[in-house]
Amino acid sequence: MIAKQKNRLWRGASYFIALTLMVPVLVMLYGGISASNELFIHLWQTVLPDYITNTLLLGVFVVLLSVIFGVISAAIIVHTNVVGRNKLRWLLMLPLAMPAYLVAYLYTDMFDYAGPVQRALRAWFSWQSPSDYWFFDIRSLGGASVVIALVLFPYVYMLARTAFEQQDQNLLRASRLLGLSAKQSFYKVALPLARPAIAVAASLVLMETLADFATVQYFAVNTLTTAIYDTWLGYSDLASANALASVLMLFILFAVVSEQRARAGQAHQSNRPNKNHQLIQLTPFQQFIASGFCWLLVIAGFILPFVLLLLMAWEYSNIEQLQALLPTGINSIEIAVWAASLTTVFALIFALFKRLSNDHWRALPMNISGFGYAIPGTVLAMAMLATFAPIDYVINDVAKYLSWSTPGLVLSGTIFALVFAYVVRFAAIANGTIGSGIEQITKSIDYAPASLGVSLFTMVRKIHLPLLKSSIWVAWLLVFVEAMKELPAVLLLRPFNFETLSTQVYQLISDEMLEQGALGAILIVLLGLLPIIWLNRSRNENPKEKV
Amino acid sequence: MIAVSNINESQSMQLKINQLSVELQGKVILSEVNLTLHSGDILGLVGASGCGKTTLLNTIAGFIHQTQGELTLGDHNGDERSLITPENNIAPEHRNIGMIFQDYALFPHLTVEQNIIFGIDKLNKTAQQDRLKDLMTLLSLTDLETRFPHQLSGGQQQRVAIARALAPQPKLLLLDEPFSNIDARLRNELMLEMRQLLKKLNITAIFVTHNKDEVFTFADKIAVMHQGSILQSGCPAAVCQQPNSWQVADFLQLGSWLPIKKTSVNQYQTALGKVNTTKEHQVEKSLQQLLLKPQFIKLLNLPELTERTEQQAANVRVDSISVTEQGYHYHLSSIQTGELAFERLSFYSNELFALAQTLRVAIKDHELVIFEH
Repeated sequence: MIAKQKNRLWRGASYFIALTLMVPVLVMLYGGISASNELFIHLWQTVLPDYITNTLLLGVFVVLLSVIFGVISAAIIVHTNVVGRNKLRWLLMLPLAMPAYLVAYLYTDMFDYAGPVQRALRAWFSWQSPSDYWFFDIRSLGGASVVIALVLFPYVYMLARTAFEQQDQNLLRASRLLGLSAKQSFYKVALPLARPAIAVAASLVLMETLADFATVQYFAVNTLTTAIYDTWLGYSDLASANALASVLMLFILFAVVSEQRARAGQAHQSNRPNKNHQLIQLTPFQQFIASGFCWLLVIAGFILPFVLLLLMAWEYSNIEQLQALLPTGINSIEIAVWAASLTTVFALIFALFKRLSNDHWRALPMNISGFGYAIPGTVLAMAMLATFAPIDYVINDVAKYLSWSTPGLVLSGTIFALVFAYVVRFAAIANGTIGSGIEQITKSIDYAPASLGVSLFTMVRKIHLPLLKSSIWVAWLLVFVEAMKELPAVLLLRPFNFETLSTQVYQLISDEMLEQGALGAILIVLLGLLPIIWLNRSRNENPKEKV
Repeated sequence: MIAVSNINESQSMQLKINQLSVELQGKVILSEVNLTLHSGDILGLVGASGCGKTTLLNTIAGFIHQTQGELTLGDHNGDERSLITPENNIAPEHRNIGMIFQDYALFPHLTVEQNIIFGIDKLNKTAQQDRLKDLMTLLSLTDLETRFPHQLSGGQQQRVAIARALAPQPKLLLLDEPFSNIDARLRNELMLEMRQLLKKLNITAIFVTHNKDEVFTFADKIAVMHQGSILQSGCPAAVCQQPNSWQVADFLQLGSWLPIKKTSVNQYQTALGKVNTTKEHQVEKSLQQLLLKPQFIKLLNLPELTERTEQQAANVRVDSISVTEQGYHYHLSSIQTGELAFERLSFYSNELFALAQTLRVAIKDHELVIFEH
């Protein structure tokens, strides 16, 4: 396909970029594995068991809750005539735009002892002190699990809903004619068939949970992420932080591998599925329960926190805050634009290499560059520090040797490391979007230009890129929004005095002063809505009842 | 061997559909359908796509609710008869109807064995295993128990679908285009196999197809649907000989359409000359359509150009040629223009003509089949 000379260049570029993206993680793993035994023994005897237990429990609780929330709501939307079905269908995706740490802060404000809920209860029942009544403590492992699950369940909802919608309805009809009721058919046929999709979603939720930093930090639940952060920033102990990051990395690897094994040999859908859905007709009581369940998720995961934010902004915002928002906003946008543009360009290089080369390993660069998505921001930050700090030292030593002025931390102390970390973390998003976009283009198009005497680059420029325009835009947008929201990597890697919207909001949350940053928080949420609206636009046609 | 006599008893039923209508989203999909099936009957339901065949099947199965009319599923002797009306619906799982889907709808997450016993898991293990074994033998599926559907060939998948549908011993079997996914060369063989099986078990069946040829191989009865109604039903040969409407004749492709005009009580004018009829046709419109089968067209010799009179001139032109077992197959169009002109007349001959060659043909005397069109 690609001429030999160009092929070598392209292959070189693809492998070089992909491997470069993976180097820091390998360096960190090496550092972690070669950390001294004593260090591990010390960690093991002190904090590690607690951190691991908390991390595991948090992961299990969040995944369980997300699966319960997501699968039930997806089943209600696809299989029943629930009132407001078409609206709930997209409303249930909105919580994805809400960062968990914002919900954590807003709900703590609302549900703790001094919050309006407990105040109202005390006034109502004339209770005097906390000993008069029981009220759940939101600042706990359980509270963190619920809050994180409330914003992550849409992953399960979206994938389960798509799986249910794509299922061949004849399978359910066959099951009915073989004597099973609609409900039994759902449990025995629809649910087992959606298992692979639910497993993928659950593993995404698990990765996001293990990567969460701000929520657990705010709730004072010590997990591996918070431990890495404290070990590095609190005790400046890079080796221990590396070791902890490596442990977390192994957790993630385990999750990814088991998810893939669970999926092996599954998912065989019919070629021409009948999507004419037979809706279960709910009784008024069931309607009440079903729509109540869905609305509760939408309200708790999005509407309530968003309204609270709006009220906060209304009450406390002023022109100074708006002015303060400007430089941090520009910082956020600057690094998000860098990250989005670089990942998109890299994804294009990988995708076109995979498509046009006849190299046996042509899919490899795309695949290995995608691993980074599984790596939590905190771990990535440690990897950047472990890799670039020594290089910076070497650069400065060389400068000193040559009697030049020392340049300082050019790699680890600038936005270079930050953008690098973002590109590693979000490459999978761009790869996935552009990769599936390029698969939509029929293969014969690759052959046509050559038969018309057109060169490879002209072909890519005139054929592939225009056809990929919408995928490129979606990929860019998704990475941009994720980068705007990313927090732990920025906290660890940002240059001195460099604030982004998310670090500013997080800082204010830590100081219990979110009121001052409500506008920034609203901006983060609104930006997060963009891809949801965009994705919903192309998918919102309901499968019409056909005759 | 499955207990054939047992199955015979449970399947000795009939289906009666009385004035059945279905409306979906304010649109009439089925209108006043009547149909009766006796035990062991195999009915082929044909019609162009969108005519309501699948809706009728789904209404019988219980996936679509009728707006009007009655549906009676029941035994010959009437003691297990169940009447389904718009007010008295019976859920699909309680109708004791089996269905074989176009895509077979085998459960992809279950093995062949699990698929087949899916509908009989209320039976005890021994009974399940007995019936499974009988069906596996009957359908030549032995040794495939542990396979998953995607590991089977199309024909094997179809046999598993049949076994699964037969396992709960349904009274009525519905088949939705069961042969459309099968390779053309295997299709006839499978149809014959399946027909033998249904006959052996005396199962009443309705199968939907848009391929009229399948009906002749597979069914005892044919019902032609058009725009939500059954236009004609009966024995396939009888329907072909005496189509009751032009839609039936047209769908079954029984011949070509020739515009004709009445000139006297027993005579019509066509672009191919005058034709006589013994029957008096009472039609008000002046222009009608004659259903003309190829065997009623004869080729006339053309005299040399100089010797021709006007009556002996060429009247058709060759538009297309194909080779068939019966000789060359031609599509002819009329040279004459005007209201009696036609564009496509099917004609067979052993003689090879050239494209665009002009010929002279005439209509043999036969009993005319005339419709308003």
